Order: sequence, then C-alpha cells, then structure tokens
Amino acid sequence: MKLHAFSLCVFACTACAFDIDDALDRLDSALTVSAFQDNLRARLSGTVDLEFYNFQQPAPGLIDSEIENLFNPRFTLFLDAQLGSQIYFFAQTNLDRGFDPSDHGAQVRLDEYAFRITPWKDGRFTLQIGKFATVVGNWVPRHLPWDNPFINAPLVYENVTAIQDKYAPYSPLDFIYGPYYYGKYTFNPVIWGPSYASGFSISGKLGRFDYAVEMKNASLSSRPESWYVTENGFENPTFSGRVGFRPNEAWNLGFSASEGSYFRREAERTLPPGRDIDDYREFVLGQDASFAWHHLQVWAEFYEARFQVPNVGDADTFAYYVEAKYKFTPQFFGALRWNQQLFATINDGYGHNDHWSPDLGRIDIAATYRFATHAQLKLQYSFQHETTAPGDDNHLLAAQFTLRF
Amino acid sequence: MCRLGLMWSNAILSIIPASLLASAAVEGRVELPKSHGAPVQAKRYEIVTKGGVLSTQPPLAVVYLDGNFPRPVSAPVKQVAQKDLTFIPALLPIQVGTRVEFPNLDDTYHNIFSYSPAKRFDLGRYRAEERPIPSEVFDKPGLVTLRCDIHEHMRGLILVLNTPYFLITDTEGRFRLSGLPEGHYTLRAWIDSRTTREKPVDLKNGQTLHVDFP
Repeated sequence: MKLHAFSLCVFACTACAFDIDDALDRLDSALTVSAFQDNLRARLSGTVDLEFYNFQQPAPGLIDSEIENLFNPRFTLFLDAQLGSQIYFFAQTNLDRGFDPSDHGAQVRLDEYAFRITPWKDGRFTLQIGKFATVVGNWVPRHLPWDNPFINAPLVYENVTAIQDKYAPYSPLDFIYGPYYYGKYTFNPVIWGPSYASGFSISGKLGRFDYAVEMKNASLSSRPESWYVTENGFENPTFSGRVGFRPNEAWNLGFSASEGSYFRREAERTLPPGRDIDDYREFVLGQDASFAWHHLQVWAEFYEARFQVPNVGDADTFAYYVEAKYKFTPQFFGALRWNQQLFATINDGYGHNDHWSPDLGRIDIAATYRFATHAQLKLQYSFQHETTAPGDDNHLLAAQFTLRF
Repeated sequence: MCRLGLMWSNAILSIIPASLLASAAVEGRVELPKSHGAPVQAKRYEIVTKGGVLSTQPPLAVVYLDGNFPRPVSAPVKQVAQKDLTFIPALLPIQVGTRVEFPNLDDTYHNIFSYSPAKRFDLGRYRAEERPIPSEVFDKPGLVTLRCDIHEHMRGLILVLNTPYFLITDTEGRFRLSGLPEGHYTLRAWIDSRTTREKPVDLKNGQTLHVDFP
C-alpha cells in the first residue's frame, strides 16, 4: 500500500514536472541576454537544493551540526558570460547555512568568480584569473549537486584529519589526540571540497594531452575563509598542476601535484621560535582515472599527501576512492562509491608509534530519480567504519531535492 | 484487352506513391517570432575548452497538412547529427514511425536523451565511431525535445506528425507544400511548443492555394 502511494506520488510529481520543465525552459531563454550581434551573451542560471541529513554524533565529514537531523536548504546562482570567442566570465553565489552543511544561520557568499581568455581556437592556451575550483583531480567537474551522483564529497575531500591550520601542536601527543578535545572546525581534510581559492591558472590542450597549472593563495587543505584574497594574500602561494591523457573518448587519465604552506597567518605565534609558516608545507600527489561507456561511468582518484607538522615531523596519508554510476532508465540512476583513507604512524614522544588520525573506510550508495530535466531527487546511505580507533561506526542517511533553472 | 490494360494501369498506379499522383499545392508565409540569441555554454569546470561562439539557430516553422494518413510501410530513416556541440538540424519534422539516427560528428562524447512524453529515451555516452549509429523509432505524435547530458546548452526538437505532408519554412517563413491529396483538411503551422496556427483548406487537383499565417 505504501509502495503504491509512493508510485502515485512519483507519477504525480513527474506529470507536474513536465509543466514546470516547459516553464523553466522559457525562464532559461528569458535569463539569456545578448548584444552586439550576439558577440556578448550572458546567462543567469541556478539551483535550489533542499537537503536533509540524519546521522550519528559526531557528525561525519565536514557536516557541522550538533543536532542529528539537519535541514540544509541552498540557493545557488550562476552567471556565465561570453564575449566573442575568446573571453569568458563566470560567477557562483550562494545563499545557505554555510559552505558545508551546518546548523548555523543563513549566509550569502560569492564562492566563485573568474575571467578567462582563450586566445587560440584550438584551446592550446587558456589563462584564467579569479576565485575558482582547483585543477587537481577529476572530482571538481561533477561536484555540484546536479552533476554529483552523491550528496556528499568523496572521503578525501571531507574527512577531517588531525591537521590544523590555526594552531601548531605543541607535542606529538597534542597532535594525535587534539581532535578528541577541540571542535571539528579546528581541523582540516587533505583537500577541502573543490578548493575555491583565489589565483590564476594556465591550461591547454595539445593533441591527446591536456595540462593545467595554477597559483593560488591557499593550500588544498585550507578552509573556505582562507580562499578569499581579502582574508589571505599571496605571501605564501600554493602551486598545483595536472597533466591529463585521453587515449580515446572513453578514458581519461590524469596526474596531479600540489605544494604550498597550509598554516593561516594567526598560527605564526604558535610555531617554534625562528620558524615561519612557509616552513610547513602540504605536498599532494594525485592520480585519477575515469571511464565512460554508454550508461556506465566510473571514476577513481588516489592521493598521497604529506604535511610537515611543527614539533612532530612529517605526517603522511594515502586516500582513494572508486565510484561508479549506472543509468538504469532514462530517468533513474544509481551510484556506488568505496572510499578509504590510511594514515602513517608517528612517534608519540613516549616510545609508541600511533596513527596520526584513525584509518577509516566508507561506502556510499545513492539513487537519483530525475522527474524532468530540471528536477531531481537523490537518496543516499553511507556507512563509515574506523579501523584503528575506538570511534563508533557512523550511519548517514541523506536526501536532496534539486530544482535547476 | 481493355480489361488487361486497366489491370496494368492499376498495377502501375499502385506502385507509384500517392503523393506523385496528387497535384494540389499550398503556398504562403508564416509570421515567425524574432530570432533569439545563441545559447551560452557553461564551461566553468572544463580545464580545457575550445573557444568559439555557438551558432544562432534562426526560428523556423513547420507547416503540415493534418489528417489521418496511413503510416509508411517501411520505416523511413532520418538523421539528427551532433556537430560543433549543436544538433543539426535543430528542428526535424518526421512522420510517425520514422527511425531517427543520431550520429556523433564531434571528437568528444555526447549523451542524447529526451524526457518528452512523446518519446522518452537515453542513448548513453557514445563516440563518433559508434556502429550501428544510435537511433530511435518515434512511434507517437508530439514534440520531442532533445538534450545532451554532457553539454547542457544543446537543444534540438523533433516534431512527430501523423501526416506525410509537411515541410520546414525558410528563414523568412515562406513555404510551398505540393503533391497534396484532394479534399478538405486543416493546414497547421507549428511555430514553437506553445504556438500552432491552423486554417481549413479545400484542396483541388491542379490548384495552388495561397495561405498565410499572420
């Protein structure tokens, strides 16, 4: 009976969605403007996301909430503008409860803005300046809710480690056990989401190879507040790059690297005497692969990262995930992702070797139904298991409704 | 002898398409809406993007003679290609029962799909060398909006009609529909998803009727 009611509900939503679809197509035309004989064109678009999370405390990943049932609405507006064939500008602004899901109040942010010049039509060279997602890895192109088969990010982009960017640990013990005493937002993952830091990039395509290098004002692990030029200048830049090889349309292989200091300016007073934040750096090496054939898409990323930690030494970690998406029908697809992150051991100063953060694995399973070309509903279940710490297993249930215009 | 001749002429007539035997025609002009600008391609997260302005697709109308005509015996085959990240042609009228192939002429994947009630399908990701060329049979009349799951700006339309008598106007809206059967029909001009104009017409062999859709 319940299944019957659910089917009816989906059918009613689908029928209604086609009317909305037509209206949103017309809105799309209305929000596209052009001038100078079509040489200047601009389009406003956006998404409305309604997210619901149910999880156990402590909240997994970068979710910042002390309540276990979290409602997280988000309104995103994009501007894409093209001037001739060589100049492109885009911006993304958000009204939500924080960059990561949280129980805080509403805030408005300008998450991305960038100006791009492509002098040659074959795309051999492109210069981009602004605040935009990193060129590292292959997750960024699908990180927005409409394109991401999951509601959350892969583990490496959101698993909070013992690394902190505002204070230096005063001993190995403080470093290892700090996360048990301080709030989660004191600490950092290896890569914080899509890393919308500020700077410039140069990219291009040479035959079956493509390249991209960027200079940004903050490291891959840096928190969203550090991405703004007004907050964090270019005194300690981070350099990142990716080389891609596409043997054919189905495969895409890439190698990435990144290097830069990860401490914020306020950490300077906590560093050992005579040391500067530039002395402590984050190094990341990444390998990525993707494959697509008909209704199947598969992605994988592998990251090896090293943080130079004051009073501790080198803290190494390895993280990877393998993700697959399959379209069962034109409107229904499922996705499965296996994530794992392993941490090296460090000496705690008392003769014991301990993992500097708990090793953990997580499996994500999600299903998405597209009512129409502008509306979709996603459901996800995640199970996270820590293998080297007394931490409890964590179950996450999430739902996300997205309306795109 | 006379009977044999009649049989032969009947046999010859039966293998000649009806459209060749019919001789009525309609010509005129459809008032087209103003040309809308070319779409803007969102390429925020593509590390490498080719420069280039997407082409403007001028508004066109489809003029067709409405009626319940027999379906073709063998399914006709038409093509909607993907070239330079656009559908070519952007608007394709077809008769019910037509198979449409979707060849990919770009050096990147395309994923053509439609959620339109008249035809719901998803061809998945395929490249230029894909054989057989991905195709669909359109067996229900109505408007089918084509999209690409990879290139959000791509839009194409297939208008599936119950009649074999149709054509696309030129960019000025002019048309001439010939080879029509004699009789009383409704002539329609499809302009966009919300606008279809119609006029009753009396077609007589050997005559050309003038009809405008203001």
